[in-house]
Amino acid sequence: MEAFIAASIEALKLSFKLLLIIVPLVAIFEVLRYMPIFRRAGSAVEPLMRGMGLSREAAVPLFTGIFLGIAYGAGIIIRVARENRLSKKELFLIGLFLATCHAVIEDTLIFVAVGGDGWVMLGVRLVLAVAFTGLLARIWRKAKSREKGL
Amino acid sequence: MSVETVPSIPERLKTGIISGLQTSGRMIRIVLPLYIAVDLLKGTEAVNLLGRLFAPAMKLFGLPGEAAFAFVAAFLLNLYAALAVMAPLDLTPWQVTQCGLMMGIAHNLLVEGGVLGSTGAPAWKLTLGRVIIAVAAGLLLNGVRLLSGG
Repeated sequence: MEAFIAASIEALKLSFKLLLIIVPLVAIFEVLRYMPIFRRAGSAVEPLMRGMGLSREAAVPLFTGIFLGIAYGAGIIIRVARENRLSKKELFLIGLFLATCHAVIEDTLIFVAVGGDGWVMLGVRLVLAVAFTGLLARIWRKAKSREKGL
Repeated sequence: MSVETVPSIPERLKTGIISGLQTSGRMIRIVLPLYIAVDLLKGTEAVNLLGRLFAPAMKLFGLPGEAAFAFVAAFLLNLYAALAVMAPLDLTPWQVTQCGLMMGIAHNLLVEGGVLGSTGAPAWKLTLGRVIIAVAAGLLLNGVRLLSGG
């Protein structure tokens, strides 16, 4: 019982932390998203995103997740997904990318602190995330064009 | 330029705060019970059993059997727990890099699986994908080590 109470307190702390970070993050996102600079940044990464089967709507959740972590990225994904601006496939592709590659700064530094090679960890992770997401997008695209051919 | 009605800043702020609260609410409903479950799992016989079960598989990655416990800690709990298990193992810097890469890709699978699921993406498929990619990354780095004669 004691362990349960201790665990619940920790869980509540985590929930509070999520609330404290996600509410301002989503609010800022909402205020900024109409600004032209946001759209221009979206265009800059568009070719790479397209290679992974992602539209520019996916850019903000993707980059939030890469740097801030999966929970905060998910907060923005939920927001964008609820407006139906992401297809089911795209949602899966973003999920696959972020599942493989998120909170890269914190995760990498933890292991650099005990003697790991940060560039190898970061580089391989990023390359694998791009490769697997791109591969899946290609497979789906091929399957779709085959369907159309029938 | 497409004509789009842009709401005023206070209005955007209000929308942002409300949707931020809704978003965190959705996530907390999932994360809170999962976190409690994971916390209660810590230090139980189940974790020891899993560690012993996976010890032989560590050879494939050129890691000592004890590293299995670190992987169980990383998969079920988080990177900090894994680090606590890894620290006394006297791993080489390359092995630390390898563990860091694999664990960076796949960690905290239960809670993060829940978070990914809350976006509407199929959580177990993504989680399985993470484990597969982590295994691929581990084999890749071990292959590099063997080829370079380390």
